[in-house]
Amino acid sequence: MSTVVDTTGGGGAGANRSFLASAMPVLLQLRRLAFLLFFVTTLLFFLLRAAGDPALVLAGTDATPEQLALIRAQYGLDKPLLVQYLNYMWNVLQLDFGKSLASGENALLKVLDMLKRTLHLAFMAMTLSSAIAIPIGAWLGFRPETLGRRIVGGIVFVFQGIPGYVTALVLIQFLAVNLRLLPSLGYGPLEWKTWIIPTISLAFFMMPQLIRVTAANVAEAMREDYIRTARAYGASPMQLLWRHALPNALLGTAALLGTQFAMMMGGSAIIETIFSWPGIGWLLLESTQTLDFPVVQAEAFVIAVLVFLINALVDLSFRYLDPRLRNKEA
Amino acid sequence: MTDIAPPASANTATLDRYKRSRFKNISNFEVIVAGILVTIIAVLAIFGSFLQTHDPMQGDLMARFTPVGEKGYTLGSDNLGRDLWSRMLVGLRWSMSCALTANLINLAIGSTLGLLAAERPGWPRTISRQITDTLQCFPFLVVAIVVVVIIGHGFWPLVLTLGFLAWPIYQRVVFAEASSIFQRDYVKAARIAGVGRFRIMIQHVLPGIRASLMVIFAFHFAGLLIAESALSFLGIGAPLGVPTWGNILAEGRQYMLRAPWMMLVPAGAIVISVVTMNLAGDGIAAMSRKRGRSIDV
Repeated sequence: MSTVVDTTGGGGAGANRSFLASAMPVLLQLRRLAFLLFFVTTLLFFLLRAAGDPALVLAGTDATPEQLALIRAQYGLDKPLLVQYLNYMWNVLQLDFGKSLASGENALLKVLDMLKRTLHLAFMAMTLSSAIAIPIGAWLGFRPETLGRRIVGGIVFVFQGIPGYVTALVLIQFLAVNLRLLPSLGYGPLEWKTWIIPTISLAFFMMPQLIRVTAANVAEAMREDYIRTARAYGASPMQLLWRHALPNALLGTAALLGTQFAMMMGGSAIIETIFSWPGIGWLLLESTQTLDFPVVQAEAFVIAVLVFLINALVDLSFRYLDPRLRNKEA
Repeated sequence: MTDIAPPASANTATLDRYKRSRFKNISNFEVIVAGILVTIIAVLAIFGSFLQTHDPMQGDLMARFTPVGEKGYTLGSDNLGRDLWSRMLVGLRWSMSCALTANLINLAIGSTLGLLAAERPGWPRTISRQITDTLQCFPFLVVAIVVVVIIGHGFWPLVLTLGFLAWPIYQRVVFAEASSIFQRDYVKAARIAGVGRFRIMIQHVLPGIRASLMVIFAFHFAGLLIAESALSFLGIGAPLGVPTWGNILAEGRQYMLRAPWMMLVPAGAIVISVVTMNLAGDGIAAMSRKRGRSIDV
């Protein structure tokens, strides 16, 4: 931020204005985040209230009316819905989502505890998928018209139609059931064998799209003038690809990785359920089905903030990857 | 398969009509393959009840776990001796009608909001963009899981959830493309000539984004198929007794070792139909690129 102020120079007023100008995108982003969180919490509050009575969930089905009344009074559930809503929003502002109805833990802490395992899975899957997809995509996009690349492109296209849970089931069938090489479910923080199939299934689902986008971007970059210039200066094909075309093409890939991360937060619900991987996707299904209101709320909140942060990070990495954006005046 | 030959005994008038018809331009290999596959899927979905060889719900316990193709069970039978082929046909109809209805709802909401936002700056634009932005920030499947679990099993809960949550892609593309069309001279001319707002949107602007809408419709159809079968697979989409692809897959998973086809048949069906839709989208996009329109989805 300070560099922006320095380059514009001028008097105090000018520096001030440019500071505001550079802070403006951040403020706008924060407004977006506030709107998003407001929308999510409000929607979920009323949806969950429409779904069932939290007092019933707390007390169990065989509770007497007196017990129910006691619980209602204790949790403020006897007040009008609007008052409850305002109370609730006030608590959310202080990041207090209440206690899990199932286990009595702090809902937010429980979600954050689960989150690290999901991030673990997401990180492994994204690393694997980019490590494979970017070289293949670059190779495909370098000279798209040859026969071998067309065949590989076709295979990638078919793979794009395979949902992650189908890959997961097939891998379980072959690696865990037939060959008995790996455990078919479960999670151990240090047992790397349990990580393999979930990671591959998730990565497989994201890879084809990543390959196709990288290939399309590399192919487009190869048609640019600066490639022709570099070629005229005698750059080798490898230099052309790795030094000139790929850095430009990676912009699109970075944007897609952000989108895919958001998708993965949903997709992990399926993968985690298949593998009994105790992350937030698994928790989401579990807590929604048992109507564990505070946990569902906290979870939605955490996912919204997380996806938002990732998107902001992608925007930032754009500035790092593309000097043209870095120097452009806002 | 590059060009369909004109009818041999054509007089000039029919030849002219043929040249102007859009079928002449279908020269794209992907579109032809996808067209054939979509036709097959549509026929199976519409006339599926006549093609069933067995009762999809009633099993023959003597014929449990029949492998593919044996004893008249085209795709084998499941753990209760029910015919998989007949069950897959029921599931096909369910999945297709679910994805189609949800897609149409998405199309309607998304393009309406997109057009309203693109027309001119003002409160419709602010509201439309704000809602889209919010929905897009949030992983769609997460919301879908919560909503579906809460409002319950069944066809309409599922369709409406998908229909009202998955439209942002339409809004985004319609907004981007319609914004530039609203600036064209012919739209301005129409406005000066006194054509009404909504007539301009529908008759003058919408035809210009038809190709993009077709492409998204196809890709989005594939995405909805995956979402629908995933939710059913998790046991929160279709009601448990209904033989949808997701449900059959979830049942087959329990008998992975004994009868792998119980899992591979629905998995294959899902993959084939998703690839078909992707193929259609890709082909249509390639075709319109050839005509000088670029489509970014």
